[in-house]
Amino acid sequence: MDFIRFENVEREYHVGGHVIKAVDGISFGIRKGTVNVVLGQSGAGKTTVLNLIGGMDSPTKGRIIVDGQEISSMSEYELTTFRRNKIGFVFQFYNLVPNLTVLENVQLAKEICSDPLDSKEMLIKVGLEHRLDNFPSQISGGEQQRVSIARALAKNPQIVLCDEPTGALDSVTGRKVLRLICDAAYSMGKTVIIVTHNAMIAHMADTVIHMKDGKIAGIEYNDEQMDAEAIVW
Amino acid sequence: MVVHSLFTKSIRDMRKSKVQFISIFIMAVLSVTIVTGLDSMWKTIGEQTDIMYAASEISDMWVNISNPSEKELWSISRTKGVELAEKRFVINALTGLEGRPTLKIYTISRSSRLDRPIIQQGGLKSRGGAIIDSSFAKEHGLKINDTIELKVNGRWTGFKIEGLAMSSEHIYSVKGTTTIIPDPQKYGFIIISEDMLKSIYGQKIYNQVCIKLSAGADAAAVEAEIDKVLGDNLIGIVKRGEDSSTNNVWSNISQFRTLAAIFPLMFFIVTALITQSTMLRLVENQRGQIGILKALGYTKGRILWHYTSYGMYMGLLGAIVGLLLGPNLFGRVLIPWLKLTLADDRILVNYTNFIFSLILILICTGGISLYACLRLLRDSPSMLLRDKPPKEGKHIFLEALPKLWNRMRFSRKLIARNTLRNKLRMAMSIIGITGCTGLVVAALTLTVMVNGIAGHAYETTYKYDQKILLDEKVDSRFIRNIRLDGTVTQIAETAAAVISPDGSRTMKMLSVFPQDSPLIRLTDMDGNLVRLAEDGITITRKLAETLKVKAGDSIQIKRTDGSYVYAPIRQIIYMATGQGIFMTDEYYESMGETFKPTAILVKWNNKPDRAFLQSDNVDEYVDRVSQMKDVKASTRVVYIAAVLLIFMGGILAFVVLYNSSMLNFSERIRDLTTLKVLGFYQKEIRSLVLTENILSVISGSILGVPVGKVIADIIARGLDDQMDLVSRISFQTVAVSGAITLVFALIINGIAARKMKNIDMLESLKSVE
Repeated sequence: MDFIRFENVEREYHVGGHVIKAVDGISFGIRKGTVNVVLGQSGAGKTTVLNLIGGMDSPTKGRIIVDGQEISSMSEYELTTFRRNKIGFVFQFYNLVPNLTVLENVQLAKEICSDPLDSKEMLIKVGLEHRLDNFPSQISGGEQQRVSIARALAKNPQIVLCDEPTGALDSVTGRKVLRLICDAAYSMGKTVIIVTHNAMIAHMADTVIHMKDGKIAGIEYNDEQMDAEAIVW
Repeated sequence: MVVHSLFTKSIRDMRKSKVQFISIFIMAVLSVTIVTGLDSMWKTIGEQTDIMYAASEISDMWVNISNPSEKELWSISRTKGVELAEKRFVINALTGLEGRPTLKIYTISRSSRLDRPIIQQGGLKSRGGAIIDSSFAKEHGLKINDTIELKVNGRWTGFKIEGLAMSSEHIYSVKGTTTIIPDPQKYGFIIISEDMLKSIYGQKIYNQVCIKLSAGADAAAVEAEIDKVLGDNLIGIVKRGEDSSTNNVWSNISQFRTLAAIFPLMFFIVTALITQSTMLRLVENQRGQIGILKALGYTKGRILWHYTSYGMYMGLLGAIVGLLLGPNLFGRVLIPWLKLTLADDRILVNYTNFIFSLILILICTGGISLYACLRLLRDSPSMLLRDKPPKEGKHIFLEALPKLWNRMRFSRKLIARNTLRNKLRMAMSIIGITGCTGLVVAALTLTVMVNGIAGHAYETTYKYDQKILLDEKVDSRFIRNIRLDGTVTQIAETAAAVISPDGSRTMKMLSVFPQDSPLIRLTDMDGNLVRLAEDGITITRKLAETLKVKAGDSIQIKRTDGSYVYAPIRQIIYMATGQGIFMTDEYYESMGETFKPTAILVKWNNKPDRAFLQSDNVDEYVDRVSQMKDVKASTRVVYIAAVLLIFMGGILAFVVLYNSSMLNFSERIRDLTTLKVLGFYQKEIRSLVLTENILSVISGSILGVPVGKVIADIIARGLDDQMDLVSRISFQTVAVSGAITLVFALIINGIAARKMKNIDMLESLKSVE
């Protein structure tokens, strides 16, 4: 039984009178507790897939089922509730609230969900126990991304969505961040979906979904995942 | 070409931040409208009346006198400091017109030079002719060659109307005790020839000397000298500025001058703050563009002017619109409500202050823009082209109180940090809301105060059915003997000369009646009942203020025989309208005077005694109910003022709140998007942005109350010399103003919330701006 299932999902955008099919009738399934990479060139529709899973966007056609719930037919309010309780996000540009300290940024997520984990513990887990009272502007990019991961995990979500999590980081820091995400996912049983254009990252995933022009070009299953820190790019 | 492309850029930039620039424009319009509007009011009144005073050669003082001898007149004209003295006869007379309106008769001779009527049509041609008040004539449909009947010296005499005129003594034309607001239906003036009066009375008769002082003369010395010369023949001296017309004109002028000086200040500050926050954001968002311009080789001055011009355009445009709006809105709408009879309906504009306010508004808009831009221009082009460093978070003082801070929710912490980071914007909102609440409080307080006048005078104080003015021949004994069927209080109302402790002389209203009249209930400031003192006088609060006296002081009152007696002030009472001196008939007689009623107050047991009212013992009578109605009708101007004030308050609140929420929103759109993605509900996000508004609404509303009281006081003080308006900020006023402000705030929050609803999560997350 797939934890996340796409059935003939289509997403159209109207841009200046043109209709663009960002996602063009795709179907696939993702199992619970796995690490998945959606791979593709820019414009392939991978971010749209991520947004659709996260309930930030709704398909124009088809069904999306997450954990037995059909999110494709949910209202705006239901989608917000869904995000609140089930989804953790890690963004390319971290998106920390500049006016809150590191600890507060993590606690912020905790404030709104039903079953949060301890914020401090999460920050210790990502190795930031000495940065609790700093503001985002006072720490490095890698550290900010770690805060962002801690924030995503503190919500205790079932799914962690990462949009180019290493896009703004150097390779050493990027690897560390990826490792952190994977370790956390396995140890806590989270389902992780990473969207990237970096083919190297694919080696660390259980499943790799290749996308091209809004369609699925192929799905690979890795039996042997490479350690994140061994990836070279 | 270069200028052209930059200009195009500024127009496009402004279009992008439409709302902010419209706000700056509206505030500029409002500020200049208020300055030029209020200025045009006093300027118009001042200049128009000056022209009238000059045209009629208005006197500097009027000496009321009984039966002056030629010798006395001669000595007055020879007094040092008197340039010209002319005698005339002045008396109120009933007319035969419907409603029995009163006309004040003035005599004039061929050689009269002072207090000439300002002729509008015709002129005095024959001995039996008359020049009549043009407003009165218009109201009653009288035309030249009509005849008007007047009761003079106990008989009805017809006068042929030969001319229509205005009088500089009747710019604000009120009869005195029974009315407080001019009503040409009921009162006006008529000018007849001295010779005609002589034939009515059978002899030459005078009761007033008009005096023009020579330049630099000491009015007080002249007064003292005249008092000495005339002795018991002197009834009193009224100086220019003390009579109801010139006094009202003067207080109107000074009221609007004060308002024009302090009132717009708030609007200028808000304009500056709005410009500041708008331009700072615009310039900061255009860091890169400034860098490009610099890199392209534009000079610093040119770039500075480019950004300064944004504010300049708005300020200049706003000032011009304000100049057009102000005099028309205030002058044309409000001046007619002041019930002044002015030479024409021209509205004059005070260009000096307009230029001054133009400069001020350009500083508030252009100057502030310049300042915002200067700060950025210090950086080098390469630095400017790089991305803006992210805004730093800062610890705030609240965190020093861990007990409080740790108990706050994160959204609250976020709000606290944000608010404190944008202190100026918060200041803008608070000042704006303070202004709004202030204006609403002022409007309501004023309405309550003015509405209270009629009630206080004709419900709280006076309890009679009718006030009946008696003919001269009627005395106290006569009234007692006719035994009217009702409760009767005899009252003597006269103008008396008084000298206050500092030596200044004035004419004040003296009311004498029995101590325990059930028809007059005097009250003190707190509304407690006050009985007239037996061994002294009682004066009204506002009079005490004018005379600079307090209970326990003594003033001198002139007796009929010309000598002055000291009268101790025993108590101060509150009268909303009709300021004066009150005493019992017994105390009056103990001063050596004879009590002779000029009027009676009657509460009828059954129907009014028609026969008595129609008899020649009665000059005139008026119902308390209709007096009350008149006052209420005549004070309706205050509603116009109130609506105007509330309207301005609304604009102020709208502009500042809308601006601050939009700025707040667009500055933090990234944060808000993140929160939305994290799963914050729409209403939680909304509250993050709008709580700041609520905070400023609450603090502004509190600060606005005293501001409103000050505004109301200034307006009330200038209303009329006879009215004593005490601004009491009641709980209801505060509650209603708070509610009105809140309604404004809620409407704006609603609009802002709707704008906020469409955050595009996907777009704003993509990249750093």
